[in-house]
Amino acid sequence: MPALVALMVVTLLPTIYLVIVSLTPLDLARPETHWDFSDPLGQYRTVLNDERLHNSFWVQAKLSFWSVALQVLLGFLFALLLNVNSRVLLALRTVFLIPMVLPPIVVAIIWKVLYTPDISPLHWATEAMGFVVPSLITDPDWALTAIIVADVWEWFPFVMLMVLASLQMMPSEYVEAAKVDGASVLQLTFYVTLPYLKGVLLVAALFRLVDSIKAFPLIYILTDGGPGTVTEVTNFYSFIQAFNFSYLGYSSAITVVLVIVTILLSWAIIRLVGWGQRVD
Amino acid sequence: MSTAISGTLTAARLHRRTLLRSALVGSAAAAVGLRAPAVLGQAKKFAGVTLQGASFASTFFGYLQNYIPEFEEETGMKVNFVTNAFPVFNQRTDLELSTQGSALDVINVTFIYSGRWIGAGWVENLKPFVEDPNLTPDDWDASDFVGGTMASLQDANGDAHGFPWEAGAMIMAAARADLLDQKGLALPTTFDELMNVCEMTKGMERVAPFTADKLHHWNWIPYLMGMGGTVFKDPPANLTPTWDTPEAAKAADFYGKLLSEYGPPGVLSFTDDQSMQSQKTGRANIRTQAITWMVPLSKDPDSRVADKVRYGPVPAGPAGSFPGSNSHGFGIPVGSKNKEAAWEFIKWAVGKDITLRMLEEHGYPSVCRRSIIDSELFKETLTLNGQDVASLYLETLELGGKSGYMKYRTVPQFPQVGDKINKAIEKVATGQADGATAMAQAQEEAVADLKKSGVQIDG
Amino acid sequence: MSTDYTRTLRRERFWLHLLVIVLVLLVMFPFVWLLIMSFKTIDDIFAWPPKWFFTPTLENYTGLWQGDFPASFANSLITSVGSTVIAILLGVPGAYALSRLPVRRSNRLSILILASRMAPPIAFTIPYFLAYRYVGLLDTRIGLILIYLTFNLSLVVWLMRSFFDATPRALEEAAWIDGASLMQGFVKIILPLSGPGLAATAILCFLYSWNDFFFALILTRTEATTAPVAIVNFMNYEGWAWGKIAAGGAMVMLPVLVFSMLVRRFLIEGMTAGAVKG
Repeated sequence: MPALVALMVVTLLPTIYLVIVSLTPLDLARPETHWDFSDPLGQYRTVLNDERLHNSFWVQAKLSFWSVALQVLLGFLFALLLNVNSRVLLALRTVFLIPMVLPPIVVAIIWKVLYTPDISPLHWATEAMGFVVPSLITDPDWALTAIIVADVWEWFPFVMLMVLASLQMMPSEYVEAAKVDGASVLQLTFYVTLPYLKGVLLVAALFRLVDSIKAFPLIYILTDGGPGTVTEVTNFYSFIQAFNFSYLGYSSAITVVLVIVTILLSWAIIRLVGWGQRVD
Repeated sequence: MSTAISGTLTAARLHRRTLLRSALVGSAAAAVGLRAPAVLGQAKKFAGVTLQGASFASTFFGYLQNYIPEFEEETGMKVNFVTNAFPVFNQRTDLELSTQGSALDVINVTFIYSGRWIGAGWVENLKPFVEDPNLTPDDWDASDFVGGTMASLQDANGDAHGFPWEAGAMIMAAARADLLDQKGLALPTTFDELMNVCEMTKGMERVAPFTADKLHHWNWIPYLMGMGGTVFKDPPANLTPTWDTPEAAKAADFYGKLLSEYGPPGVLSFTDDQSMQSQKTGRANIRTQAITWMVPLSKDPDSRVADKVRYGPVPAGPAGSFPGSNSHGFGIPVGSKNKEAAWEFIKWAVGKDITLRMLEEHGYPSVCRRSIIDSELFKETLTLNGQDVASLYLETLELGGKSGYMKYRTVPQFPQVGDKINKAIEKVATGQADGATAMAQAQEEAVADLKKSGVQIDG
Repeated sequence: MSTDYTRTLRRERFWLHLLVIVLVLLVMFPFVWLLIMSFKTIDDIFAWPPKWFFTPTLENYTGLWQGDFPASFANSLITSVGSTVIAILLGVPGAYALSRLPVRRSNRLSILILASRMAPPIAFTIPYFLAYRYVGLLDTRIGLILIYLTFNLSLVVWLMRSFFDATPRALEEAAWIDGASLMQGFVKIILPLSGPGLAATAILCFLYSWNDFFFALILTRTEATTAPVAIVNFMNYEGWAWGKIAAGGAMVMLPVLVFSMLVRRFLIEGMTAGAVKG
């Protein structure tokens, strides 16, 4: 199959190359570090000892947890709201596509504007109400939250759409039966809808989790990893090591760790979705 | 009628310029100007060549763009000069040079990367170009560049790998000196006075007493050195960082306080321009930065502080005064396929003619040619709001050149090490750590990083 | 009694609609603000309080169009379309074959496909960057097209496989019995059935490539710069040209919005297919 051969060439070969590079201390400013396999595990030892890297794992964990949790929650709530048979709502559904399909760099710019006190209508509005809000992206207590807010805005529609698609396939007998039993809307949601959506919510969360590891434009544009290292996630740290300092060897080692995590999560998705099923 | 008048005006202006030029830089420069028609007569030497240039964006390139069509007309080449944001330019050019690719013909040799790029042999040695009489006329005068501005552009043998277009000299500007006057305060000359002025003027007319941009590894160092600290033990021979010292801790706390207590909201994310805007609009008062960012406060038509700004030297600490100075110059990547054309461009862009026109027409202050710095025109142009900023500029340049305290900046590993300083200052300014903790941690990270790049570290 | 009930229902629907409309406005506000900003002069941008009513100007757009931006816009188009076409040509037959493989083997391949789609971009950037140094593909459109295949190819295989899975095998088997070749069965029977799926997949490929920032940031310099990178270039050392940044952002999102609105039905299908199969 040429497609699979091509796929192997464009993805598997580079990954092998990545692993090879991670076994060298490659530094582009020092040509002698090319193909230097004298200490193949040296970079991985640094991975174990690099506190800034460990901090980045923690930042990543916080970012992933909150953004995924909020996306799932908001996506679910919005889907429930929009799951009504109404032409207006059906049209409005389309609008929610916008944040998700926008180029991520544009999303980053949109939020940069909103977070820049000089020109932000948000800062103006809060000031007019009598609060002085600090510049969120330079405040260590708020910078990560600012990124999470932007990320949630961008991606909760994804969860919403998945849930909506699933709700439309929900057998109406479920709801009818519950209604006959005299269930309230709240009860209906908790005892019927939520259990039915458990699977799709989990899959959506996993997808978002994997994608949250890739977060780059928001951080690059909004905070540059700062202030200090408050918003420096692993992916971003690896980028700095590779392309600001040209420590490609070390960056490769960090990236290999990231790839392993990604593969484990992808495997979990496949187990959950059950890709083996077929319509025969 | 009106064309006749404007024609006369233009002629008068041209005449004045010619006079000025001959008076200032001697007949040699006039000869350069006069040579152009002769070249036009011949087949253009670089017809068909497209020159790819890149730098970080600066006012200089905004002005230069106006002159490039003349250069294209004269040489027949096409110039495609791209300017990027400072970090983007540095990062991409660093990558490009490391591949020894041919995408670029002329680049800015950024000060903090100069040691790295020249040391790694990524930027062409320009000595052969300068010495070849067919390529460079005598009157171009490579020795006219102020010594300090050339230092970072030379290799170990003293050969030039670039020629400067900007000499940065750090001074202090108080955009709202009127607030100081109201309180009967003089322009601060020491760290203590600076802190005092900030405290006394805090909250006045909602003006932030201090402002800065986020390049702390440039802005903070005068405070570090003023407190008696250093970046490295003895650069370039011994690159052991010396940040776990009481001096470094004190300097970090001091500067962190300036930013956190007296800076405008969001100061930690300020770019150079945003910081300048905060001064120009009168929303922030004192800043210590290179002169390029200070001149517009009194020169730009949209400045609201032109009659309020006052200039002075960077305040001194207990250990003395260490205002930063640097230079940015044009170089040619070794992978370039149009080296002669690139040299033609460099020769032109930092030649006497263009330098003079930039000063005359735009007041561009960061001049690197001695013959022009010494001129009356320079003094006249840099008399800002009634103050002699020209001498201030020269003093700073000389201070940096003489005592060699700027050597820390051009060691090849500085980009990585500087990043650690940026992060540490951010942590202090946002209250995540005190000076001692943040600097000790930065020290540890810098040592690990330097070892990674094969540098010998003490103890 | 029954009119009462209808009235309550109608009132509920009214409040529901109102709530949703308010939420939509809230969600759309950041996006709309950027659009508005792109039509403001620099003075209006810095106006305090912010202006809702102002004399719109096109100066940001015209300024943008006179610079290097059109070239980067063209680069974005060429690389996105190029990569999409190649990914479709290579990926669709592969997806079909995968769809007809025994379950166990196809599952193992699925992991590879999904993992490559989900791997952080830097995992590919490092090896591609190093390899491109040797072969001279840095700062070329071909270089970008190739690296976009890392996600596009797997996207095509991944999505098209789920579309093919949904087409009953009985159809092509019937065609084979009638003497059609394997290829004929695929082209004549299966492909037409998957037309909408194919369109959705192609559009998604285009969008993913068009939206890329990271690869272009690292792998291009001057010649092959794409539009998203060009916008970041406006964030200059000496200036945040907010008007131009906003106008650039608007230009870059325009094709994306038009595209996704035109095919929104397929887009939703495409983005969720495979993950929420019935």
